[in-house]
Amino acid sequence: MKFDKKPNKLILIAGLGLLLFILPFLTKLIVGNQYPLLIMCIIMIYIIAVTGLDILFGYCGQISLGHAAFFTLGAYTTGLLNMYFNLPLFITIPAATVLTSVLGALLAYPASKLKFHFLSLATVAFGEITYYFLYTSPGGFTRDFRGINVVGISFLGEDYLKWYFFLLFFVVLVLLGKTSLIKSRTGRAFTAIRENTHAADGMGINVRKQKIIAFTVSAFLTGLAGALYVHLIKYISPETSMQKQSVLFLTMLLFGGTASIMGTILGVVSIEVLMEAIRFLQEYQMLFYGILLLIVIVALPGGVYGGIKDLIVTIKRKKALKALNVQKAADTGKDGAE
Amino acid sequence: MFKVLLINGLIIGGIYALIALGYSLIYRASGLLTFAQGDLITLGSYLGLTFYKFLGLDFFISFLLTFISAFIFGILLEKGVIRALLNKNVIPIYIVLATIAVSYIIQNSMQALFGTTTIQFPQVFKKGTLTIFGITAQTEAYACLAISLILMLLLHLFMKNTKFGVAMRGAAMDPLAAESCGINTSLTTGVTWGLAAGIASIAGMLLGPMYGVYTVLGSIIGRKGFAGAVIGGYGNMYGAMIGGIILGLIETFVAGYWTGTYKNLIAYAILIIFLFIKPTGIFNEKAIQDV
Repeated sequence: MKFDKKPNKLILIAGLGLLLFILPFLTKLIVGNQYPLLIMCIIMIYIIAVTGLDILFGYCGQISLGHAAFFTLGAYTTGLLNMYFNLPLFITIPAATVLTSVLGALLAYPASKLKFHFLSLATVAFGEITYYFLYTSPGGFTRDFRGINVVGISFLGEDYLKWYFFLLFFVVLVLLGKTSLIKSRTGRAFTAIRENTHAADGMGINVRKQKIIAFTVSAFLTGLAGALYVHLIKYISPETSMQKQSVLFLTMLLFGGTASIMGTILGVVSIEVLMEAIRFLQEYQMLFYGILLLIVIVALPGGVYGGIKDLIVTIKRKKALKALNVQKAADTGKDGAE
Repeated sequence: MFKVLLINGLIIGGIYALIALGYSLIYRASGLLTFAQGDLITLGSYLGLTFYKFLGLDFFISFLLTFISAFIFGILLEKGVIRALLNKNVIPIYIVLATIAVSYIIQNSMQALFGTTTIQFPQVFKKGTLTIFGITAQTEAYACLAISLILMLLLHLFMKNTKFGVAMRGAAMDPLAAESCGINTSLTTGVTWGLAAGIASIAGMLLGPMYGVYTVLGSIIGRKGFAGAVIGGYGNMYGAMIGGIILGLIETFVAGYWTGTYKNLIAYAILIIFLFIKPTGIFNEKAIQDV
């Protein structure tokens, strides 16, 4: 039985890999321009960002409603370092991730004392403070509301096809890292903290240290996503750190399903596709988005991934019941005959 | 200078107090965080505008109608969305997200109906400005201060002296015990949300004449109002009132004496400082412990 599953899984992965490889070329051919490719690149960047949020919230249970701050700060750091000091990008991007990680750790230290509601308020405050700081920076060094224009990555340029594979590399790396993290001792500590902080403490887990690690890793990933984002789009403004963006990340995470690899991908893809699909509504886009969001929350609280899992379980159960009934009927038939 | 700042601080503090009241009421009654209060302010200001400007009704009548409409909206929100989610036993973050979704819906439907430009709220009083204790300010501003104080007083009397008010407090303290006393907790929770919505809408209608009516009016003030609630102790009704006024005063004085550019940031800085150092607020409110 076990041997049957392994080759199936390999074939699945190989098939997926092939699909991912062909997909960009296909879309470019069918649609004719690079727009779908750009959307796919943005999806991949958001996957990295939401993975960061998943590690913090999905696995460690720490709610963050200000995660867009890390995203935007990562973007601003690499952009400003490049703009003012002409540092090359292979220095500014890691520098951006270092900054966001340090900030995440600093925030984590007092925030690890807080429980659910207060933690969410603290993260909201963090996000808002970041927004106002970027919007009215001392001396205007962030160019305030105007935002900053940033250079692209030179060897990628405007070719979104090259960006696609560049980002795909990062996404695969991040997802592999996530898998190994959640299987490691640290990952299990996260889950323990999420389920019952007191019990985790009683088991000898240093809750505060683990929470700080969770925040740091989460901030690192989201900051990295921001740094990549700004070089793709070549522009960033304080608006990206507004609560709207944090809520978007959270929605993507919850929609797809927390604490899973597929869930994150599903969530980001579905929300981003949804946003594009209702873009034609223009000024009614956000209204429709709000209504849809509310309907989905009330009707499908497990997220799409949870909903699909429930569906699969229901189908399996029905099949098993059917088989059991057939068996029962056969047995009673035998008894009856006897 | 000091006097002017004092009055302005009290005025905006009164507004913050009303909003913080809403947050604390809801937290006490349902144990939930809501992000919809801010946009209920916006809803209130637009409702007030509709009744007063577009339908030409008397100010006092528009006032009452706004309150009643928002009250009904609050009850519907509680029954339709919150209770439905609570019955499904979802993780609390979904309810918070639902209130955020509601706030988006309110904000964008107001935008769709009224556009993005600031609409002027017609002057309410015949006398444009009023001078009390040597301080001159917009008559509407003084009215705002007076009405918020009166409202807080009325709420205090309602909660303390009326049968239903006491029932609401009882249901908030311990729903099971309240039910066994014959209190309809479902009703009181609904009324709490309705009341919070009504208070927010009145705050919106008071803000209208001072700042004009626009779609993001409420959400910024609503988010800052969290600080007021936390300062006083989240869940403590009187703490919220005092916390809101303190917040308004600090914000105005810092903006007046030090720097005006970071005015909005002050509220969040206070919020985060209180959360990290004294989350139970100045009245040591032991909030409902949730893991």
